[in-house]
Amino acid sequence: MDAAIRAVLGYFFLILVVRVVGRRPGKQLTPFEFVLIFFIGGLALTAIVGDERSFTNAICQVVAVALAHYAITWTRSRYARFARLVDGTPLILLERHEWRTQTLERMHIADADVMFAARDHGISSLSEIDQAILERNGDISILPVTETTDAHGMQA
Amino acid sequence: MAGPAFKRPVTDSVAKINHELAVGEDLVFQRKWWRFERAIWVLFILIIALDCMGAFGRGPLANARIESTDHAVEADYERIERTGTPSMMTVKVRETAPDPIELFVSDSAVSGLGLRRVIPAPETTTVGSGGFTYRFPRGSLPAVVRFEFEPVGAGVYHITVGRPGEALMHMTVAVVP
Repeated sequence: MDAAIRAVLGYFFLILVVRVVGRRPGKQLTPFEFVLIFFIGGLALTAIVGDERSFTNAICQVVAVALAHYAITWTRSRYARFARLVDGTPLILLERHEWRTQTLERMHIADADVMFAARDHGISSLSEIDQAILERNGDISILPVTETTDAHGMQA
Repeated sequence: MAGPAFKRPVTDSVAKINHELAVGEDLVFQRKWWRFERAIWVLFILIIALDCMGAFGRGPLANARIESTDHAVEADYERIERTGTPSMMTVKVRETAPDPIELFVSDSAVSGLGLRRVIPAPETTTVGSGGFTYRFPRGSLPAVVRFEFEPVGAGVYHITVGRPGEALMHMTVAVVP
């Protein structure tokens, strides 16, 4: 019982830490993030498992974490407010040739990160981007300037 | 036969920017979250600072010393301990000690703090009066006896150490999870 509670508390604590550490742009984990995830996971494991090394304990803890994960996923899909709390919301980084400076600064994103995502979409310069959006999973979506959006931009 | 496919009409449930692009950005919430994040980082720094100082054990704040009123016995111990982590209490017996040296340790040292070992091994151990009385052959003084603990659970424990029949030392030890 105690071990299962420890596992669930550890799971919620890690969710908080990962959420606070923040979203980083990019589709793949950088070596820096690998270190962070494995190191935090390893450290948490010691306290969560404690001196109970039995197979029964491992099964109970895995089941407890699976249930906690299911509960979070279920609540997230049902309540938009909870989803916003767990995942955050998409954030606009660049809109109509203007940077959202506060968002960039708070999310620790540089122009180069946006350009990296833009190159992935075959865009060769920042001026060709109409909207850049930091998605909830850390990806940066790029919407290129089209004739229509450019016309809107000129009107604005 | 396949059952019915459950459907619902598509509506614009995701907020748009400039009435064009459905993004679902919520800057009001995000600004609140950034404030919350800052508070959490301050809390994290505070936790690390307290940890370095020993507020959660294993540091200067955790170390304590107590002396019996007759100044015959002195003990260095950790007032804050951690579950499952070994620690040592050093008891120093001074000149006034009779031969042989006897030390009483309350039962809470075993049940609460998980007393593992007594160094050196006592000649005899007597059980009673809510604890254990260890007897050691006397050599040259001061004599040092070490008690190794490994607490099994969190809580606040009161332990008593000293020479039986003489002034005893009462200590309070907090064990963090």
